[in-house]
Amino acid sequence: MAVSLDYVVKETATNLWRNRVMAIAAVLTVAVSLSLVGSALLLRQAVKNQFVEWSNNVSLEVFVNANASASQIAQVRSLIERTPQITRYTYLDHLQSYEWAVKLLAGAPTAIAVLSPAITPPVFRCQLQDPAYASTVAGIFRHRPGVYEVDFAAQTIRVLQKLEGAAQVILVVIALVLLVSSLVLILNAIRMAIFARRREVGVMKLVGATNWFIRVPFMLEGLVQGLLGAVVAVFVVLLANLGLGYLHSHYGVQMFAHAQLSSRDLAFTDLIVVLFGAFIGIVGSFVAIRRFLDV
Amino acid sequence: MIRFEDVTKTYKGDVTALRDISLDIDKGEFVFLVGSSGSGKTTFLRLLLREEMPDTGRIWVAGREIGELSPFQVPYLRRNLGCVFQDFRLLPRKTVFENVAFALEVIGRNKAIVRSQVGIVLDLVGLGEKADRMPDELSGGEQQRVAIARAFVNRPLVLMADEPTGNLDPATSQGIMKLLDRINRTGTTVVMATHDVSIVNSMRRRVVELDHGRIIRDQARGVYGFASELSNTTSHAVPAVSLVDEGDPEETGEGESVTSRVTAVRARRGNR
Repeated sequence: MAVSLDYVVKETATNLWRNRVMAIAAVLTVAVSLSLVGSALLLRQAVKNQFVEWSNNVSLEVFVNANASASQIAQVRSLIERTPQITRYTYLDHLQSYEWAVKLLAGAPTAIAVLSPAITPPVFRCQLQDPAYASTVAGIFRHRPGVYEVDFAAQTIRVLQKLEGAAQVILVVIALVLLVSSLVLILNAIRMAIFARRREVGVMKLVGATNWFIRVPFMLEGLVQGLLGAVVAVFVVLLANLGLGYLHSHYGVQMFAHAQLSSRDLAFTDLIVVLFGAFIGIVGSFVAIRRFLDV
Repeated sequence: MIRFEDVTKTYKGDVTALRDISLDIDKGEFVFLVGSSGSGKTTFLRLLLREEMPDTGRIWVAGREIGELSPFQVPYLRRNLGCVFQDFRLLPRKTVFENVAFALEVIGRNKAIVRSQVGIVLDLVGLGEKADRMPDELSGGEQQRVAIARAFVNRPLVLMADEPTGNLDPATSQGIMKLLDRINRTGTTVVMATHDVSIVNSMRRRVVELDHGRIIRDQARGVYGFASELSNTTSHAVPAVSLVDEGDPEETGEGESVTSRVTAVRARRGNR
């Protein structure tokens, strides 16, 4: 093989400069494609975060019999404290529970008239670690002495879980489609760049250059282009994330209040984008040059 | 140096480029390949370079059967074969020096060797002064000299030229031929495909004439011309078939018979 580093670096640099229009086209293709891929990955993470937040607002309520004894209430309370799936809870006694019910029934004065603090059951309002545990947790409490009823928004939880699943699938599919199309675009850009230089490749073959000798500068060129494109894409992804935060803080767009990503998620997305950029640069060049070496 | 044995090459669509060719070229020979367009001259050279593989038959270059080379070995074969073309094939964005140096860089020679060798070869082709010019600043003849310098710079065993004078005027062509002749005198085998009647006639070297993929004439000190016209006058035509099958040097007669030489070579190789 005998490819000297000196030669490869010189050749790569001069080729990049001489074919700068093609090189810039390739870099931009990589940048645009990877920005879209990165954004799709980001959006997927954001949607996931948002769903977690929404789900956390779904609570489970354990109603205690209105005439339950203090020891029964204490037992329920200790059981709640021992249940690991319950992250926190608030206890509403007769009076607090009555006030809450009055609030809920604001549109139905006749129902309120029938209620009184004495007959309103006290309630433990529990936050669950994950809404998926709701029915299990409800099962634990339902037939305990002193428990009147366990209630949770079963329907809401089911809908949220389905929505999240669908959103995840859709975004992963979008990201994959973008990945594949960007791969094709980049391959094409690199192939055009090499096609413009097939004459040079022909001369190299003629004077007895080995395939690796010809390939290495092209692959290094592809790597540089892929990485440059990826760096641009990383900036776009960072900006998109900042943009979400800005929307939230300046215009109070609550919808995605929790969609903004942690720096860990961001770093992960960026890492994928950069690795993918390097990968397509190298593999794209390798594939694109193959047919010109077949002599 | 070069040996073709019963080589047939057919392209897609049943175009037979070479039919049952057998030929020996010794080290240091100067051989003209002549024949009309489509007679198989270029295919002959492409087979030598292993840009193509023969359908049947075997080809040896410098003692190695090139059909048995792995793809990884092909570049090393090509380092022994210098190539010159009608269209020069210089790299337009490299200077004269860089174009010639490229052939050495590609095979991994170090800078010192590159610098000295390129200088020597450029002086040989008479372009020592123009090392820093770009190819498009040179005349056609000068560009072809650069191409020859590039082909010769790593001292190949064989220099192949495919119509090297095809784009040049007669006077310039003569200069190129003098250069090829000088290279030939260094012991380099030269194989040149050409249409140029006056060059072939003035050089009086071995002439192999191809017609529709067959060798219809193989003549030492030959001239350009069709075998049929020449058979009664300056030489005798030797069909390729007889070259292989009828091996008796006595029968083929006069002078420097290529046939006898081929037969002798064959006999020698056969004994091994």
